[in-house]
Amino acid sequence: MKNGHFLTLGIETSCDETAASVVADGRFVMSNVISSQIDIHTAYGGVVPEIASRKHLERVNDVIGKALDDAGVSAKDIDLIGVTYGPGLVGALLIGVAAAKAMAYACDIPLVGVNHMHGHIAANYLEHHELEPPFMALIVSGGHTEIVNVPEYNKCEKLGGTRDDAAGEAFDKVARVIGLGYPGGPKIDRAAKEGDKDSIAFKRVYLEHGSLDFSFSGLKTQALNYLNQQRQAGREINVNDVAASFQEAVVEVIADKAVMAAEKYGQKRIVMAGGVASNSRLRALMEEKAGAKGIDVLKPSPVLCTDNGAMIASAAYYAFRAGEKPDLELDAIPGLEF
Amino acid sequence: MKILAIETTGKYGSASVIDETGRVFSADSREEMNHLKGMITLIDEAIRSAGITKDELTHVAASVGPGSFTGIRIGVTTARVMAQMLGIPCIGVSTLKAMAEGILDEAISKDALYVVPVINARRHQTYAAVYEAEFTSDHEKQSAVNIMEEKQYMIEDLLEELRTKLAETDGAKAFFTGDGIDAYGDIIRSAMPEGSYLFADEEIRYQHSEPVARVALRMAEGGKTLGYDELMPEYMRLAEAEQRLKAGTLSDRIKRASV
Ligand SMILES: Nc1ncnc2c1ncn2[C@@H]1O[C@H](COP(=O)(O)OP(=O)(O)O)[C@@H](O)[C@H]1O
Ligand SMILES: [Mg+2]
Repeated sequence: MKNGHFLTLGIETSCDETAASVVADGRFVMSNVISSQIDIHTAYGGVVPEIASRKHLERVNDVIGKALDDAGVSAKDIDLIGVTYGPGLVGALLIGVAAAKAMAYACDIPLVGVNHMHGHIAANYLEHHELEPPFMALIVSGGHTEIVNVPEYNKCEKLGGTRDDAAGEAFDKVARVIGLGYPGGPKIDRAAKEGDKDSIAFKRVYLEHGSLDFSFSGLKTQALNYLNQQRQAGREINVNDVAASFQEAVVEVIADKAVMAAEKYGQKRIVMAGGVASNSRLRALMEEKAGAKGIDVLKPSPVLCTDNGAMIASAAYYAFRAGEKPDLELDAIPGLEF
Repeated sequence: MKILAIETTGKYGSASVIDETGRVFSADSREEMNHLKGMITLIDEAIRSAGITKDELTHVAASVGPGSFTGIRIGVTTARVMAQMLGIPCIGVSTLKAMAEGILDEAISKDALYVVPVINARRHQTYAAVYEAEFTSDHEKQSAVNIMEEKQYMIEDLLEELRTKLAETDGAKAFFTGDGIDAYGDIIRSAMPEGSYLFADEEIRYQHSEPVARVALRMAEGGKTLGYDELMPEYMRLAEAEQRLKAGTLSDRIKRASV
């Protein structure tokens, strides 16, 4: 407690970001430290799990220390610790969990485990201080493409998800195929701004009528086929056009299905989350399509879209308030479901 | 002095508290690979059975490897963060050295000159070392002195070097310990001359925090302490992807390898 505010420390190490943050009253970000390993993993063309966990270990103390310093508080001011315990890379998760438990024990602070996906949704509470459930959530990240109904804090009903690749994965794969490299999402986003989205006809995959599921694995094959055809015909390839056309095929289906879900469940708001939520075209199209039906679209600023400790702190705060029991026997669960 | 020692590099986790007189209080788990879940409970049990509170701790020691990468990380991370939060120094103890320390009395009573901790690193690889018992002037306290380097050995190479050592001293025996016995027992039996070696019983074969605490106490007395951010794992091996990047054989498959 400091100045009458309940302080939560959030710790996140599920993939390649070592992150910690102090959040006041579940809503106000006092510090948000993110130590990214992207520079290290770029040399390998993707996240190497063993290296990720080695780096988390080296960095986690200082990231926690800096989160406290930046917030101008000390460990004894912290009322609650929240840590991501899944889903994610097991070796990466366990560094955050071990660190959180050691701190909770050493400083007598209650600890609750947070589902990383609940964290992504909670990022919106930090951005939109008046936002409360119920709402529809759209989670689009490197590992997830999900439409989730949120009737209450930390209650998530999954309505649909990808049957193969996640949206971010599709971005990353196609970026590799067209030579843009890793991380693919932001690079395609940038290239697409210079390209013509109607130049190449990528298939929109809607699956069965009314389905809220997704399938993106065919897009990589389509991109490969297109590149081969062009090469064989001796035609030049415009990378920006491929990026724009591919991106449109992904985000159009996502936007349509998210709006469909909100209408079906009578939700007046769609909340976006996950790394791909910072895609500029997806944001624009969501606003257009939802706006036409009188549905509001909320999204966190890009820094809260990527993996961060603040979203974990917020989710922990609401879980604790809802009566979640502190647990020093917390384990990492790499395949944790919603 | 009240040192907390953590051991999570092998199958079973344990925690001990040692005081300046050398009295040790331990808690250990019989559940395999339960380190992440069970560590804090073990630490709390060890501290309670020592009759102190965690705020009275003066150092946190961890067995830093070699061993299971995951296990090493859990122990080292726990030690680093506890030390950071309690504002006390860390001590990094070699896992192999602690294993040798743990069976020293037994080896001496069985008349073995050499102590050989062997950790199974799969595919005929081991992390191992050879130690010899050394007595202080009063002939009471003994400690293990490293005479063959702590490193990765192919089991066959380790045994060959060891046979050479044994041949230099007539009738000398080697006392093996560690899960390397479970993995390579048959190879050891067929490579070593009859009567030249002994195996540690299963009850004392695996890593335990008690000898970690004993080694840590001597290190603390010798001033060999570290800041929490200086306590590092001793993996003894690069990550596979790092080896390949260095060798220039990083394939697309490895690039996308997951856990
Ligand atoms: N502007 C963007 N457009 C499209 N995809 C993006 C953008 N920014 C990031 N991404 C994608 O988001 C994913 C990372 O998001 P993140 O939430 O960290 O995913 P996860 O935690 O599931 O790995 C990556 O696949 C990345 O390519
Ligand atoms: Mg994420």
